[in-house]
Parts: sequence; structure tokens; C-alpha cells
Amino acid sequence: MAAKKAGPGSLKLAAVLDLNEASNLHGKLVSMRGSDLKIDASGVERVGVQCAQVLVAGVKAWEDDKKTFLVEKASDAFQKTMQLIGINHENLVAKEI
Amino acid sequence: MDMNEIKEIFFQECEEQLAELESGLLKLNDGDRDPETVNAVFRAVHSIKGGAGAFGLDDLVSFAHVFETTLDCVRSNKLEPTPDVLKVMLKSADVLADLVSASRDGGGVDESRSRGLVKELEALAHGELPSSSAHEAPKPAPKAAPAPAPVAKAETPKPTDDSGFQPIPFSFDGFGEDEEPAIEGSVYEVSFKPRRELYSKGNEAALLLRDLSRLGEMSINCDTDALPPLDKMDPEASYFGWKISIRTTKSEDDIRAVFEFAEWDCDLEVKLAEEASSDEELPMVPVPFDLSILDDSSGGEEEKGAEQGVSEETVAAAVSAAETASNVSRAARAVEKKESAAAAAAAQNNAAAAAAAAGQTIRVDLDRVDRLINLVGELVINQAMLSQSVIENDATGTSAVNMGLEELQQLTREIQDSVMAIRAQPVKPVFQRMSRIVREVADMVGKSIRLVTEGENTEVDKTVIDKIAEPLTHMIRNAVDHGIESPEKREAAGKDPEGTIKLTAKHRSGRILIELADDGAGINRERVRQKAIDNDIIAADANLSDDEIDNLIFMAGFSTADKISDISGRGVGMDVVKRSIQALGGRISISSRPGYGSTFTMSLPLTLAVLDGMVVTVAGQTLVVPLTAIVETLQPEAAAIHSFGANQRLISIRNSFCPLVDVGRVLNYRATQANPVEGVALLVESEGGGQRALMVDAIQGQRQVVIKSLEANYTHVPGIAAATILGDGRVALILDVDAVVAASRGQSMKPEMSLAATG
Amino acid sequence: MKKKVLTVDDSRTIRNMLLVTLNNAGFETIQAEDGVEGLEVLEGCNPDVIVTDINMPRLDGFGFIEGVRRNEKYRAVPILVLTTESDAEKKNRARQAGATGWIVKPFDPAKLIDAIERVTA
Repeated sequence: MAAKKAGPGSLKLAAVLDLNEASNLHGKLVSMRGSDLKIDASGVERVGVQCAQVLVAGVKAWEDDKKTFLVEKASDAFQKTMQLIGINHENLVAKEI
Repeated sequence: MDMNEIKEIFFQECEEQLAELESGLLKLNDGDRDPETVNAVFRAVHSIKGGAGAFGLDDLVSFAHVFETTLDCVRSNKLEPTPDVLKVMLKSADVLADLVSASRDGGGVDESRSRGLVKELEALAHGELPSSSAHEAPKPAPKAAPAPAPVAKAETPKPTDDSGFQPIPFSFDGFGEDEEPAIEGSVYEVSFKPRRELYSKGNEAALLLRDLSRLGEMSINCDTDALPPLDKMDPEASYFGWKISIRTTKSEDDIRAVFEFAEWDCDLEVKLAEEASSDEELPMVPVPFDLSILDDSSGGEEEKGAEQGVSEETVAAAVSAAETASNVSRAARAVEKKESAAAAAAAQNNAAAAAAAAGQTIRVDLDRVDRLINLVGELVINQAMLSQSVIENDATGTSAVNMGLEELQQLTREIQDSVMAIRAQPVKPVFQRMSRIVREVADMVGKSIRLVTEGENTEVDKTVIDKIAEPLTHMIRNAVDHGIESPEKREAAGKDPEGTIKLTAKHRSGRILIELADDGAGINRERVRQKAIDNDIIAADANLSDDEIDNLIFMAGFSTADKISDISGRGVGMDVVKRSIQALGGRISISSRPGYGSTFTMSLPLTLAVLDGMVVTVAGQTLVVPLTAIVETLQPEAAAIHSFGANQRLISIRNSFCPLVDVGRVLNYRATQANPVEGVALLVESEGGGQRALMVDAIQGQRQVVIKSLEANYTHVPGIAAATILGDGRVALILDVDAVVAASRGQSMKPEMSLAATG
Repeated sequence: MKKKVLTVDDSRTIRNMLLVTLNNAGFETIQAEDGVEGLEVLEGCNPDVIVTDINMPRLDGFGFIEGVRRNEKYRAVPILVLTTESDAEKKNRARQAGATGWIVKPFDPAKLIDAIERVTA
């Protein structure tokens, strides 16, 4: 739980985003409110729906805050799972750059 | 390991479960009401059923199922385990054992018996549960009863033991008519909304959607409306729901089957869609076909770009951890090829190692242990030979070498003891088998008998255990048939109409003592005596002690049964029992109290592999006399020797006379009698309890010898029990003391009937 | 990476079958003989999925499942119940205890592997 204020924060997602990780992830996001956030999902191997819920809630929260919430890098597993469960929010689907 | 090896393990396990079952039932019979006893009994049958099912042993499964069902009633306190109930259960345990043997060795079982028991078991399960139909979730018990007789194989083609429940998730044959396969696939609309419990039970909506997507072409819409704001949400709650449209050739049931594990924890709707409307309703996201990435979490190599930092380290750590773990399992697999049992043990140990559990055991193939024992036997011989040649070649005996040899000898001895301990087993399984025999034979002859066992954890070498079962069985049959009186006679004699047979095992001075006592009428000495006279075994005027009369029943061709019954007849007499006990290096005797019962006492060596012996010389030959047989050794003096009859001699020891047996004569090593004064007398106890003095020329010393079967390598020699190899490499014969004594008595008995008079 | 399966079953026969089936299917297998041992082994083996029997000495399958679900670290691990009893009552009890799914005996390797695939990523 690094950068709480000032400057764009960045968050590297855990490899396994399962039930156990949901609360963790939720806590991190809550603590990072208020600044732009770059998310690195390149190391993600598994995504459970509950973590996806947290991320989507995050996107909405950041939208409300008028801050940037962006998944910059995403593993194949992350992208495919998001697609599979029908989450096509562009902030969550990293555009290949 | 292949299926055959596992099947072998299954049968081994069955033996254990059957033993568990029987001892549990017997405990219940004795009034034990510990729920764990009932549970253990239930588990035993359950376990047999489970394994049998895996191997398609339908008869076994069917019977075990009915049995289990009735036991379940006991377990759930719906059926009181009364003596009558337990009687049926014990018989059922016997039939179950028969079915196991039949499954293993082929051959049939008494079908009428098992079918009868199935009926009885079902009646128990049924009869005691009149109100069970009112129960909202009925046990399998009452349901099983109306099912077709489970043992009749032809009627029940499949071991679907589960009262109509559809057991296999994926084999839906379609229900009746409407199995019209969708042409080119139909479109289904699926609405799926998980509840929190779905996740907390380890299910994962993403995986369910993955499996669903594999059924065909799928579009999906995620409904996120229920999602609260970030700071209000519960990260472990369920907010998302899905509307899915899928085009598939599969049926609605196939779609529902995907959600089989989850259906209680979600709202699910599946319906055939109107083709036209499906596109319009909701914005659907097509789901890519290639979901392979989701199957293999280790994928995604491309991402290993700039910052691998933490995650890669973790992965690496995880990998190496997994590698260590899989090394272990690889090791286990390597062994597996060699030996199934060992592999199983190794694998179990793997798991156990993590838990640092206590009291571990491993299973080892008996062949391996036997091989080890043989090798240690060779080692003992080799060590003795080495010692001897060192002593012979180096008279000065450098102390270093001697000390080394001494240590070697001690180590060898310790190794041998330890190795023998591996093969030592409790007599329990044999004793347990006996209780079945008591039950069956008592049933046949209409007697009521309980078997009490004691010391069943007494350990003895496996080779001995394997060989005592048969003589013991015969003795038990005999005790039930002849020993215990009929209930009427017992009552008339003021005894409990239920007879008791007590089977005891204990260790006594390096041997195992097995006692079989009945509380029957005891030996009818008058009748035994008369029979012996009729059969020309003793002279009409022979004056025998009670003990001697009792022991007459071990004479060849002796049977006191007025009519040869089906049970103990069978052409086998106690003489055969005695001979097989003797062949094991054992002794058997009987003591009897008229009106109070008889006790048979068997004394057996703890092992058939080694023996502590006294090495003696007889007419230039080296013989080994088992140390356990020798009471004492003495140097006869001329004054103590008394001639008796033509060629019988007695030796007076302290205040009694003891027949002198010239071993050299009995074994035909020499034609004339040796002079006792020049030799040594070994006082031995013979099976009747009487003592004899064996005359040998000289004593060379005492040592432990490795027994080599003479029968296996040569042929049976009367008076000789086995052979061994001595330190100098020579073969020495091991004396069969009882046989030698018997031979000396046999010679004397007929021509000199009067011997008995002095006995 | 190999998936790791923890099996809990008191029957040696079934344990061996599980071992062979799972190894052949490319899983890493860890085995325990009853619920108590299962919970002990669980710590430190971090399985991807657990397969457990119901009728076991010391701690039965229901108790074992509850134990896993109470475990902070491993509560999310999918648990498959291996049982001959397919009647609704037993299944429901297992589900209430927190089982993810079930495999109905008689033991069938294909069914086992299939069920594992269904509940693991």
C-alpha cells in the first residue's frame, strides 16, 4: 500500500485474484483513492469474479473522482477472463500499445 | 502401478476391513455401545463397497450395500443392535468375507445363504422403521428394501446402488422422446446470478462461464447494476449477474449440467431462445473461442517484459517449491514400478511427512522381507564361518581381530533379531478367523457357544502364524463338536447353557503358548481308555495315569466320537493336529477335568527361521538339539544307570527314574548301544510332560543356527526336524526331539507293554 | 505448472486409485488418510483442489470441509466430495459444510478428472 497521495499511483495486481485476494485488493483501491492510478495486470494468472467486481467498482469510483484509472499492462489470462465474463469496460481492457 | 496391483491392495484392505468388521460386531455383541464402534463397523462395509464398485465387483457391491444400509440404521439409532440383530450381522460379515474371497479367487458363494441374509437384512432395515416414510429425507434404508434382490446379479445389471438418483453428471441420455438433436445448434438464453455462497464454497462464476462457453458460440452480457460504490461494497459478496446467449448443438440438460455444482447457490434460468429476438435485447459481447489461456495458469510468456520483479520471484519460488515436492513424488513413482505396496506407502509418507505424524507404518511386500531374512541367515552362517577360520588360522588371536569379530557377531545377532521382528505379527487375524468357525459349527450342531480370546496381540513370526491356522481350526471344531455339551446337558449339569471356549496366546520363555480351553464335559477317560484298548493302542491291563489317558487322543487313528460327525470327522484326528504342530517344532498336550472341560496347550517356536541349539556329537555325526527342549544336561554315573527289560535303560536322577533314549540307536547311527557313562545325557521334556534322557556322545557347544528345511532340499527324515550349516561349513541335522522320544517309546510300547506301568 | 491435488480418504484402495489416476493425468498428488491428517497436510501444501471422502475415522469429510473453510488461507480452495452416497441428504450436508462439488463413486477416473477440471482454473 504505497502511494496514498500525490502523484499518480500504480498498482501491480497479484497473480491469483481469487476470493482471498478480493478484500486485499479492495483495501488497496480504497486507500489509493484521489489520484490517478495505473494498474499493472501483467502478472495475473487467474481472475475470479469477486476481484473483477472490485476492479469494476474501482473504475466507477475513479470516474466519480474524475481521475484516471487505467489498466496499462494485462496478461492474456486477465484479458481473456474479462472478456469471458463480459466486462468490456475500456479502462479495464488494456489497449495493446 | 496398474489396476491389478491396486486390486491386490484392495483385497488386502478387505481382509483388514473384514477383521475390523467382525471385531466391531463382536464388541457390539458384548454390549459395547460406543458410537465409534458402530461407525467403524459401518465404515468397514462402506469401504469394501467403495473399492468393490471401482472394480465392478457387482455381487460384492450389492451385498455390501444392503448390509451397509442396515448398519446405517444402527448407526442412526433406528435399529437396536440386539443379540438377534447381531447374529444376522455376524453371519452377513461371514458372507461378505466369502464374497470377497470369491471375487479374488473365483469360485462361488452359497447363493441361497446370501440371498436369505439379504432378506433378513432388509427386513431389519425395514421392519424397524415403520415411520421412516414420514421422514422428509429418507435414508437409503427403507428404499433399498423394495429393490430387486440385489444379489441376483441378472436382475440388477448395474451396481447403481443409489435408489434412483442420477449418479453420473454427464451421461444424460435425454429424457424419452424429446431428444431431438438441435440441427446446427439451437440458441439458448441463460440467465445466471450467483449468490455469495457460490463463491464461499469454492465455486467460481468465471469457471462456470468458461465451461459454458465450451458448449458452443456464446455472447455474454454482464449485469453490473447491483454493484455498490467501491467504499460500500463487500468484496466477498456477489453482485454480478449474466445474461448469456449460446448457440449449441447440446441440450438444455447439458447446459444445466455445467451448473450442477452451483445450482443451489445461484439463480439460473435456461430457455430455448426465439432466434430473432436474441440479438436485440441486450448488448452482447461475443466470447472468444480460444480460452486455452484460462486452462493453463502458467501461460502468458509475452508479459515477461520489463517489470517481472516480485511476481516472477514468487513464481520462481513457487516453482522451486513445487519441484521439491514433485521430486518427492517422482521418487515415489520410481519405486512404484518396482513395488506397488511400497509405492503406496511412500506416497502416503510423503503426505505424512508434511504433517510430521507419529506412529507411521509402511507396507512391504512379504517377498522382500523373506529375502532379507534369508540373506541375514546367510550372513549369520558366514559370520560363524569367518570366526571359525580366524580362530583356526590364527591361534595367537590378535585381540583387534577378535574384538572385531565379537562385535560383528553381536551386530549380526542384532540385525537378525530386528529383521525377525519385521516379520512378527500378532495372532489376532488367526484368532478372529476362529470366531467365525465357532459360530458356524455351533450353529450346525445346535449349540450356543461364545469364543473368548486373550492375548491376541501376541506376536509371532508370520511363517508360524500361517501354519497354526489349520491345526487350530481343527481343534476349535473339535472343541465345539465334542468338547462342549449340548445346552440341555449343560443345563442338566447346572452349567450355563451357553458354552465358552477360551483361546489364549502368550509368550513363555522364547516360545509362544497357545491355549484352547473349553468348559465342556472334559475327557471321558473310561471311554478313551476302552477305545485305546479296542484299537490295540494300549494293553488291556495297562496302568495309565489320567494325563497319559488324556494324551491318548493324540494317537494315530483315534477318534472318540460315537459317530463321525460332519464337523470334526473329515478323517482328520488329533494325531494329525499333533503332527502338524510338531512339524513346526511345537508341542501339544491336553489336560482335562471331568465335568469342567479340557485345555489344549500348544507351545510353538516364535520363528521358523532360526533356532538356539546345542551342538552335540552322536556316533561321529554332528547334531543340533533345540535348546528349548533341553531341561538340563548331566554326566551319567554308572551307578545311576539301571537296565530294564531287554534293551531299555533308566537313569535315576535325584529321586526319580527317567527312561534313557540312545539317540545313536534311534537314528540308526550305530548298531549297538552306547555306554551311557562315556556320553552325556540331555534331559528333555517330551510333549506328555514326562522327561526323557537323550544320550549323546559329547556336547560341542551352544549356538544359534539358521534353519534350512530338509523337506525342501532333500526329503523328510524321521527324527530329524531340519538341517543347518555350521560355522565350518558342514551341514548338521537338527534333532526332532519329540519324534525321537516317540520313536523310542514306539519301539518299546508294543513289545514291552509294561513300560507304561512304570511311567 | 502442475496442479496440485490433496486427497483425503481412509481407504488404501481408493488412495491408490486416486494417486494413479491423478498422476497419470499430470497432477501432483498429496494424500492424507483422514480429516485430521488432511487439515495438517493442508498447511504447507497449498493445493489447487481437494478431493475428500466422507466416511473417515477421527474427523469425517463434513468436519474436514468445515475446517478448510474456516482456514483463512485455504478457505477458497475448491473441495470435491468423493462418496458412494449420492442421496440428496448426504450431498446437502456436504454442501452445507462448504463442498464445492462431488464425485459419485464407483470410482471413475474420467469423472474425477472432469470434476477437477471444472472447479479449477
